[in-house]
Amino acid sequence: MGSVERCDKTLPLNEMIFHVRRDAALRARWLTDLEGLAREFGLSAEEYAALRDHDVRRLHELGVHQYYVPQILRLFYGAAANSNSHPALAAYQRAYPAESERALRLQAELERRDR
Amino acid sequence: MAQVVSAMALTHSPGLTGWFDRAPAHQQTEAKRALGEMRDRLAASRPDVIVLFSNDHLLNWPINNTPEYTVGIGAEHVGPADWYDEWLALSKYRIPGHPALARHLVSEGARRRLALSYLRRMEFDDGVSVPMHYLNPTSSIPLVPVTMNCTVPPIPTPERAYAVGSALREVIAAYPGSERVAVLATGGLSHEPGGPRYFWVDEEFDLWFLDLLKKGDHATLLRECTLERMEEAGSGGTAELLAWILVLAFTTGPAEVLAYMPAIAWRSGTGMVAWNHFAS
Repeated sequence: MGSVERCDKTLPLNEMIFHVRRDAALRARWLTDLEGLAREFGLSAEEYAALRDHDVRRLHELGVHQYYVPQILRLFYGAAANSNSHPALAAYQRAYPAESERALRLQAELERRDR
Repeated sequence: MAQVVSAMALTHSPGLTGWFDRAPAHQQTEAKRALGEMRDRLAASRPDVIVLFSNDHLLNWPINNTPEYTVGIGAEHVGPADWYDEWLALSKYRIPGHPALARHLVSEGARRRLALSYLRRMEFDDGVSVPMHYLNPTSSIPLVPVTMNCTVPPIPTPERAYAVGSALREVIAAYPGSERVAVLATGGLSHEPGGPRYFWVDEEFDLWFLDLLKKGDHATLLRECTLERMEEAGSGGTAELLAWILVLAFTTGPAEVLAYMPAIAWRSGTGMVAWNHFAS
């Protein structure tokens, strides 16, 4: 099965994101008091560090559900105009340079071919 | 007895509203044409209600409790959820619900051993907001949203989705009203939201899948399009096609493929299909 199977369903960070996204007060605290939030939701030091560093690969390795990772980045960088050139997505290019480069090359190829 | 009058399926990628203009011009033109055609076909079928099969992207249910299926039974549906409106570049919409049919699905489903959770107040992200923006733009057609879990393991199999579709077809047929029902599937095609291949689209898989739909042979599709094959083509996202496979159980014969675009810019293989014959 694919990468989604690596998720740790009981990881505190996976519970935390669900609540932060739905609550404007928690979303504001995300930017001003991430450490406090992390403590309240019982995150490990590793979970907090991966969050703080916007470390996509580490978040995956710790078992954060992969669907939540772009949402984590949007909480940091903003949700509007989230196209592939959005600064939030540069974190993916750092984490998976080979996959990202291959994908963007394919995109250019497909767009050229279909024109 | 309610009657199915339309069955269609489409992609719901957030880029279709959130950053539509970032795809090349020819893909924008093609998507607009196909979505316009779907809207016209839907209107021409004069539905009293849309039953829309989408998936919950960990929006309504937390990861410690992800029901396989959830029905929105409210009298009105309001979306997009806060914070998602900005991402989708959509303002708030209010669509009337159809509580009588929605509650019938839940209770009659249970009598047929189908466990459907329900929410009186459901939140909506791209899964419902994008198709409603294009196909129900004035919110005039009442909606019964049904979401599945195809994101949090264990992900159900295509056989299971088809079996649930077959059961729901009987449940809808057993509804005492004479409603004309449009069934819509949304999700897919290949994509891997948030995974290592976040920017990838598997065009070969998408064309192969659409070809299976064009052939209209359900047994072959269920045999060949395994969950493993969908996961290979994009983990945690391509399996949104389970909604299409569920709706397949409402149809017979070949699907008409209205459009396909390998739209990495919108972040998924983007397709629109319609069926012309419905299973009785």
